[in-house]
Amino acid sequence: MGCSLATSLVDLIKKIKRIHDPEFLFIEPSEMVVTQELQNVAAMGHRDVRYQIGPLITLVDAPQFPFMWAERQRLIIGQINGADIVALSRTDRLEDSSPDEIRKVLRPYCNGIDLLSVHDSDSLEKMMMNVPEFAAP
Amino acid sequence: MRLICVSGIKGSGKTTLIKAMARRAAALDKPSAVIANESGEESYEDGFTNDLKVPVQYLRGG
Repeated sequence: MGCSLATSLVDLIKKIKRIHDPEFLFIEPSEMVVTQELQNVAAMGHRDVRYQIGPLITLVDAPQFPFMWAERQRLIIGQINGADIVALSRTDRLEDSSPDEIRKVLRPYCNGIDLLSVHDSDSLEKMMMNVPEFAAP
Repeated sequence: MRLICVSGIKGSGKTTLIKAMARRAAALDKPSAVIANESGEESYEDGFTNDLKVPVQYLRGG
């Protein structure tokens, strides 16, 4: 993420805070952005606007993992490093490898890896519980 | 305001997860907003933004 893009994102965060002041602001960056860049942007905006940061969630697409690990390993590691939550997504579509095999590969780069499938409400619920406001009664 | 970022490659389910969290927030009567990169694989269609009243801002290139 370049400097001007980071500045644009910070400006958007401030604008949304000023105009809408939502309880939650969800950010979906492009697939090329790594977590460190998001942390930097969040910290930049924090100088002018009050908000809480996190969780920073990284989804690792399970079916595409073998190809992505072979071709874009640095990007995957960059997205995993610093993330509060790493989740293997679309595990229901895995054919050639198992979640445990992927976990084994990624274990040196993160503490824990959740599983996430939109068809599994339990996994979605578990993910939601990482957001304090969702977990509170 | 709480900032929640969802990273990942195209097709990894970022939009789906964000929509699910925004729906949960709406169910708890907590307003939310979205900043998405313009080249996202799945759009935040009008139904989502209108039904839940979630403003979506797009970031070019980011």
